[in-house]
Amino acid sequence: MAVDMSMPILVVDDYNTMVRIIRNLLKQLGFENVDEASDGQAALAKMRDKPYGLVISDWNMEPMTGFELLQTVRADEKLKPTPFIMVTAESKTENVIAAKKAGVNNYIVKPFNAATLKQKMSSVIGDF
Amino acid sequence: MAAVETAQRVREALNSLNRADLKDPRLMEVLDLSEQLVDAMQVFFSSLDRTVHQEFRYIATYIARTRQEISALRPNDIREARLPSAGAELEAIVKNTEDATNTIMSAAEAIMAADPSAPDYGDVVNAHVLDIFQACSFQDITGQRVQKVVDTLRHIEGRVAHFAKVMGVQDAPVEESERDRRKRELLLNGPALDGPETKQDDIDALFAGADAKDAIDALFP
Repeated sequence: MAVDMSMPILVVDDYNTMVRIIRNLLKQLGFENVDEASDGQAALAKMRDKPYGLVISDWNMEPMTGFELLQTVRADEKLKPTPFIMVTAESKTENVIAAKKAGVNNYIVKPFNAATLKQKMSSVIGDF
Repeated sequence: MAAVETAQRVREALNSLNRADLKDPRLMEVLDLSEQLVDAMQVFFSSLDRTVHQEFRYIATYIARTRQEISALRPNDIREARLPSAGAELEAIVKNTEDATNTIMSAAEAIMAADPSAPDYGDVVNAHVLDIFQACSFQDITGQRVQKVVDTLRHIEGRVAHFAKVMGVQDAPVEESERDRRKRELLLNGPALDGPETKQDDIDALFAGADAKDAIDALFP
């Protein structure tokens, strides 16, 4: 099934620069419908407001981390099916395993490039 | 009352009893024993006095030496000058980096948004590329600022290490703070020093599906 390029994507990161980078990369990849949140709590509020086709989240944020956001999303019947990619500098094996166990769809370590983002997005939402 | 003075008073009381010429032999026996006991106690208390005195002298000397070592640490200089200065340098680094990143990103966005068919497209791109070059000059200043912070940390490290060595300080067990507990429980490890600890390829293998278990095992050699 073809990927809906107009689907809303939520980018969650407490660093405005990183949000801007991901937003621009997504724009280059053809996704223009991008919302932002600066931590897990803000993201959760937005996700409960409207359905997202994909969440791209950092891990290390305050007060709610990306990991807590992932756990909360996967525990919520309504939000559960939302594809979730972690984009983070947390590269310890225990982090990757914990995210995988919590139900993350893919995991990107920072720094990353547009090709990596496209590849991981394709593996989660399908080729585009 | 000092031990010697107490012994003296007891002795005087005994002498006074002796002078009373009491005839009861059992009482005299008790008095003799008491006299011997007082003599023994005098020796004991005298030695105790000397030991306590020596202990206090040792403690006083130790406190004086500790004061000297703490003074050599220059804690006021560290607290009032060196640490605030290092903090200011770090804040400047964050701001310089942020400013440069914003300038570079804005220039890149302007280039992306420029119309390639416009007659001035080349000039627009060149102007923004120049902005990017200029913004990159933050690297030189940031390097110098980082060196100042490193120097401060080395200074503190050297003095604290000397203090710990001279005073024979052992690390005491520390109760985990709320912040540390949160970091541990939520796996907030932060970035690794020399690039990602687990490479993207290893992570990809972990997410590959059928071979996921093998990939997890591979991550734990």
